Amino acid sequence: MSEKWRLLDTGLNDAFYNMALDEAIVIARSKNLVPNTIRFFRWSPSAVSIGYFQSMEEEVDIKACDEMGIDYIRRRTGGGAVYHDTEGELTYSIIVDENHRLISRDFQETYRTLCSGLVLGLRQLGVPAEFKPINDIVARGKKISGNAQTRGMSIVHQHGTILRKVDPALMFKVLKVPSEKIRDKLIRSVEERVTSINDVLGRDMSFRELKDALIKGFEDSFGIKLMPGSITDFEEDVAQRLKVEKYASRKWNFRR
Amino acid sequence: MLGRAAYKVKGGKLIKVQLTSEGKKIKNIKITGDFFLHPEEVIDDIEQTLEGHLLDEQELSRLIRAVLASKNAVSLGVSPEDFARCIMMACEKNE
Repeated sequence: MSEKWRLLDTGLNDAFYNMALDEAIVIARSKNLVPNTIRFFRWSPSAVSIGYFQSMEEEVDIKACDEMGIDYIRRRTGGGAVYHDTEGELTYSIIVDENHRLISRDFQETYRTLCSGLVLGLRQLGVPAEFKPINDIVARGKKISGNAQTRGMSIVHQHGTILRKVDPALMFKVLKVPSEKIRDKLIRSVEERVTSINDVLGRDMSFRELKDALIKGFEDSFGIKLMPGSITDFEEDVAQRLKVEKYASRKWNFRR
Repeated sequence: MLGRAAYKVKGGKLIKVQLTSEGKKIKNIKITGDFFLHPEEVIDDIEQTLEGHLLDEQELSRLIRAVLASKNAVSLGVSPEDFARCIMMACEKNE
């Protein structure tokens, strides 16, 4: 009998609910109200998330985001700014007890272990994915997934993005560029360093097929069985509260 | 005086420092970037500890290392020496 984890697919939500729900699941897990969980989700409207230590004003072109109806939010995890396009990427979270056999005290080792589920899933689709320290997954030398991890309340929380299709020009409309003169150069540099599943495979990958492959990748790599489940009333209540009080607040999003 | 600098650690992450100084001492400092530091709140302790201290690279990295040790904190993609380097770059730029 393999170990059972909960699988959540929360579909399309706004940035503030998405990040609030991640933290709500962490809190529920820390109180032992829910099992270890893997969650898939997407962002509607599209959004930019920045790392815990980044400055919103320095990283995000707020005026451009407001004009395009794109949300901007600070994550509870470190790392860099990510543009979460509604159609362009799939986001996942892993919420697991710190004492689980998969978790090392060493962050770098834990990134490698938790990313191995994604790597295996992507390989099953024909994408030659490899883990690249510190926190990336690459295919043919180009980044296809970025990941970020934090710990607290005795729970490990890792979330990350898997690029389905990528539009570097749009990326630099929402992210700040140091000067207009180098915008084109930055776009070309992203084109050289970043890829997507559709680019690698030369076909349109559906979210269903991608999620199915990743589910298999996580199950085989972690030695677990993912049981489709739903969020609890406790998680929903906490998420709604955190959305209003924390993630949608200017105080949180502009704190650095 | 106001100083700013950005420092990309080779094979690591980006640190940005914004500081004001009085004489040779840090008055206010804000450290941002795409690095990892666990627990995350320790960044506030680092900034508070550095305020009022001399702009001396070795002393700054020693202080940051001591904050990490006292809070049982770890950084990923950046080291105390990298933070200190970036802080010195920010103060050199303001002279």
